Amino acid sequence: MSISAPRYGAASVVRTTRFHRALAIVRRELLRRSGVGTILVVALTYLAVTLVLTINTEFASLVGTLSLSTFETPYASPVWPFLMLIVATSVGAGSLAEDVGNRSITLYLSRPIQLVDYLAAKAAATGSWLVIASVGPGLLGLAVILVLGWAPASLVLSGAAAFVAVGFLASIFFTGLALALSSLTTRTLYAGVAIFGVVLSLEIAAPLVSGLTGNSSVAYASPVTDILSVAQRAFGISGPYATDPVTSALILGLVGAFFAFFAGWRMSRVEVVGE
Amino acid sequence: MGLLPPSSGNLSVLGHNPQTEPLRVREQVGYMPEHDCLMPDLSGIGFVAYMGMVSGLPREMAMSRAHEVLEFVGLKEQRYRKINEYSVGMRQRVKLAQAIVHDPPLCLLDEPTSGLDPEGREEMLGLIAALARLGGRSFVLSTHLLPDTEGLVDQVLLLNAGKLLAAGPVERLLSTQKHETVVRVRGDVTGFVTALSQRGVQAQVQGSELRIVLPTGDTRPVFEAANDTHTQVRYLGPAVRTIEDLFLTLAEEPPGKVAP
Repeated sequence: MSISAPRYGAASVVRTTRFHRALAIVRRELLRRSGVGTILVVALTYLAVTLVLTINTEFASLVGTLSLSTFETPYASPVWPFLMLIVATSVGAGSLAEDVGNRSITLYLSRPIQLVDYLAAKAAATGSWLVIASVGPGLLGLAVILVLGWAPASLVLSGAAAFVAVGFLASIFFTGLALALSSLTTRTLYAGVAIFGVVLSLEIAAPLVSGLTGNSSVAYASPVTDILSVAQRAFGISGPYATDPVTSALILGLVGAFFAFFAGWRMSRVEVVGE
Repeated sequence: MGLLPPSSGNLSVLGHNPQTEPLRVREQVGYMPEHDCLMPDLSGIGFVAYMGMVSGLPREMAMSRAHEVLEFVGLKEQRYRKINEYSVGMRQRVKLAQAIVHDPPLCLLDEPTSGLDPEGREEMLGLIAALARLGGRSFVLSTHLLPDTEGLVDQVLLLNAGKLLAAGPVERLLSTQKHETVVRVRGDVTGFVTALSQRGVQAQVQGSELRIVLPTGDTRPVFEAANDTHTQVRYLGPAVRTIEDLFLTLAEEPPGKVAP
């Protein structure tokens, strides 16, 4: 073993700001979650959306029905929201659970950062992955369409705005949900099962209860239905919608924010010192 | 570090209040927790550099400091290995490395020798002593293993069941019974103790030894008592008191008494 005095000098170094310290957590978290499974799902989403968008756009331009609603094709089925659910599960489940499980949360909070910096960094990392998975594929597909000249630039820009709006809204919801459920356990697996279980349960239960009771407002409890309604409205489809798009957008945003605050409250209760 | 609110009283760390200025305090404190809290999927170098960055070091500085401190704690060869492949001793060392990576003027080390074998314990204490010798920083050692503190610390604060038993410089605390002497005799021990008592020296029998206090340091009463009782003095020397002895003595005393 070598015992030689380290050349101390860090004390005189100008320290980075809280923002940069939180950014270090974001970078680490982004890399940490870039597992093979996540990358495969994201790559699959990019491939599927790009193919569906380009083929559909070419067909629509040939038959003369090209419009903003042509770009809504990826949202025509619940497949994309479910791919997002998989991404949310794989990147978000361990986000807080792992740090509480291996108790590295103690080390984070003994550093010159606040709990809110830590949580914001975790949310930013999980949200970034979700934005990459939700907004990116649509933008890539539209870029291909633009390069190939299959749709006018103004239409492509409108489509991009719709993809960004829907993608960000869905990302806010899934980020909040993932953080909230991740904060409830020390096991990534349990958090993952919970994220999947909650969304799937709502998908199954909401239409059933809605049908049985005849109360259509129960459909708002289904996040996928909410996302699809918002997407239909954003891409200019005139309806009818399963749920009111504006209300659905509000629900997704507010519930996502509520879940994020819940995660913050929950983490503030975690015992980080003592034995 | 401002993680828990105080139940009562005030606290100032390096001139800052942890409750109102927690970041100021944490910038200047390195913390080595007792429990395992490492990130198993990271390499030693990645982990320590990461902790340096979260502590406010620029990326390049954090990396160079991580190399430096890992070399110092003896993990130069293993720094690129994943932490989940580290032994208990290596994990303790990497915990020490992350606590000092940002060069804090104050380090809180919670049970740094916990779970270590005697050799690892010696090495860890050697590292702490080497760091302390560098100067410019203070270490607060929290430990149940009182022998760990022997020869390592300047000040001691003894707590028992949440109550303060003693606080102050080690030298002063251990020298309160300066003239306590250990005597080992062969022969009539009871008679010897009585003879000592007649000369105003009270003796305490502890196993095969007698502990006596010679107020002036004059050893003549011992030899006179031995001569009178025809006992043989086999050993006579100053009692070596340890922090553990002090703790045990104070813990047995009735509550309310605090050593100076």
